[in-house]
Amino acid sequence: MSQRIEFKVGLFITITTVLIMASIGYVFYQKGIFARVHTYTLSSKTGETLAEGMPVVYGGFTIGRVSSLELDEHGTVLIRFKIPERYNRVVRADSTFILEKPLIGSPRIVVTTVNLTGPPLSPAAVPEITVSSDINEIIKRAQPIVDKADRIMGSVAQITENLADPQGEMRRILRDAQKVTSRLSKQESLLEMAVGDPHSVRAIHETLGKLRDIATRADTLLVAAETLTGRTGEQIYGQDGVLPLVRAILHDLQGKLAKLNVALDNINRISGDVAGSTRDLQVLRSELDAVIIAVGDLVAEVDRKIPFKDKPEIKLP
Amino acid sequence: MISVIETVGRSALNSSRSFRQTATFTARILLRLFALRTYNSASRTVFINQFYFTAVQILPLFLIVAVIFGSLVNGMAFQAIKDLGLSDYLGRLLMGFVVTEVSPFVTVLLIALRSSSAINAEIAVMKVNHELYTLESFGIDTLDYLFVPRILSGMLTMVFLSSLFALVVLAVGLLVSSVIFGTGVDAYLDTLLRSASVLDMILVLLKSATFGFFITLIPIGQGLNASEDLTSVPVAVLNGMVKVFLAIVIIEVLSSVVRFI
Amino acid sequence: MQQGLGEFIAAHRGRVGLVSLTAPLISNLSVWGNIALVPQYHQNKPEREARAETLGLLGRFGMEQVAERRNAGLTAEERFCTMLLRAAMVANAVLVLDRPFSILTTVRAGHSLADALRKVDDLIAETHIFDYSWETERYGGLDVAAD
Repeated sequence: MSQRIEFKVGLFITITTVLIMASIGYVFYQKGIFARVHTYTLSSKTGETLAEGMPVVYGGFTIGRVSSLELDEHGTVLIRFKIPERYNRVVRADSTFILEKPLIGSPRIVVTTVNLTGPPLSPAAVPEITVSSDINEIIKRAQPIVDKADRIMGSVAQITENLADPQGEMRRILRDAQKVTSRLSKQESLLEMAVGDPHSVRAIHETLGKLRDIATRADTLLVAAETLTGRTGEQIYGQDGVLPLVRAILHDLQGKLAKLNVALDNINRISGDVAGSTRDLQVLRSELDAVIIAVGDLVAEVDRKIPFKDKPEIKLP
Repeated sequence: MISVIETVGRSALNSSRSFRQTATFTARILLRLFALRTYNSASRTVFINQFYFTAVQILPLFLIVAVIFGSLVNGMAFQAIKDLGLSDYLGRLLMGFVVTEVSPFVTVLLIALRSSSAINAEIAVMKVNHELYTLESFGIDTLDYLFVPRILSGMLTMVFLSSLFALVVLAVGLLVSSVIFGTGVDAYLDTLLRSASVLDMILVLLKSATFGFFITLIPIGQGLNASEDLTSVPVAVLNGMVKVFLAIVIIEVLSSVVRFI
Repeated sequence: MQQGLGEFIAAHRGRVGLVSLTAPLISNLSVWGNIALVPQYHQNKPEREARAETLGLLGRFGMEQVAERRNAGLTAEERFCTMLLRAAMVANAVLVLDRPFSILTTVRAGHSLADALRKVDDLIAETHIFDYSWETERYGGLDVAAD
């Protein structure tokens, strides 16, 4: 009896111990606990939001953790982090390290490596960490862009008003254009037409100037957005972020404005081809409609992503 | 009014005395647990027998409970996860809840119901029968011979059985998730690994051992409180089991505090 | 008598092998487990070895067949012999028999007791019997500390 109990107890302890050790060992192995670990050091001007145990991420995967934080004699914060052997290939000499503070979740250090075959990062090297802006700062940076977008919207609204107003500039342009075509059908010359209605010609030029101004502003806005894209992180500037969306819409707007320009140029040039001029005017009208829709979409998307209603002002969290 | 105040005072004094006794007994047992001379052939025999009755004898029932429980919990939780579109949380649910919380808790309840009550009654009966005096008269230290092997056995039983419970539930989880989500072994293991934390695993083992320590120490202590009257045995068991339940709740709360704060 | 017994036990602490109703057999141990407990605990004798030794000792009383039984399943004589053997396992034992006829309820005369003591004589250094004065006649020629 006693020996049978001893055997059963021994068997149970052996099997369960093997199972537990195998499970723990498997987790330890997969987590790289037994693997050779490489330690690297980064520097930062501030230790704010840095913490021991903070994850080091590459391509969305946690590849290591911050092991210690130190303040050197120059007041620089030294961040030491450990990477297991199997992930060491992603840490290269040209890797960039960004301290990211996402909207939701804990801060993390994001490693970006363009050339994975480049020379490895020397353990003695101390690259500086780039601090990605947090939400407040991002919103601050986004503010001028939104302001510009608002100005564009204002200008487009003015165009829309002109279109809607029977006495507005655009209606007059269109009426004048019709006059032009009718005159052209009567085979009157361009000079006769221009001299016949000097006000209409001036209006077209003014509108053209206004649209050029919009195009220039949109361009400036794009440049600003692109500058930001280079410097900031995925969260706001990623594929589904706010700014790429604005950027795409603005691209569209720019393209449409360019087409509008060509159309107006065509009116300006007014050739002897009456049918062509009429088509240009139709294009002008439909393109203006498209601009209005595109900008409307811009407003809706910006509204959805960064809520502002009556005032073109971002509410900071 | 005065009698009410006296009752409150008496109750406070009793509680503090009881807590002090448990603390002192715990300290004595802990000291003996780490003393080499505690472990001899007699205490080894007690340990093996106790481990057999607590861990091995219960095994068939325990495994059936683990499989049924695993199927139920996994089935319900996975279906809810699927309906809510939260399949990313599958690993976290299994590792952060089932393995670290549910497994030790179900195991400790089962062991407390079965073995703690038995130990409590056994010690109380030995006290009533003067068997503790027998041991004393032959120079056998009850701490070394009776208590430490039982407590050690309780700790190891809890560690082994709660780990086994977790492994069974995870294995059942693989079956359930392959039925509900169509997940393969590799994807399932990967999901678990991503949520597995070495610190959590260590904490679970420590928590299980702590459960095991107190669900045997308290019944032993309460068994010793029995008088020489046979009717004191059920009273001792009753008191012991209530305190065991309180200890389980306190340990559960403290472990959650350690994990989440 | 109880006071005298208490003082005697205190004076010989560590060597006393007590046979008394106040020190019953451990109910969750078998006969051999009760006897082997002392060498297992004090001499750290391995269980198998202690068991073999105990079975040999039980053979002196022709009790091998009860080795696996527990206290409740024993006759008065078997219980007494088990207690005697347990007491004899104490190293350099000072055997103390406390009112042995309260255990040997089915035995009338002391010669059975003397026979039993002879069987473990080689294991015992001294034997002391404590009983009431009116029981002394039952012990025949044995020395009894009576009160």
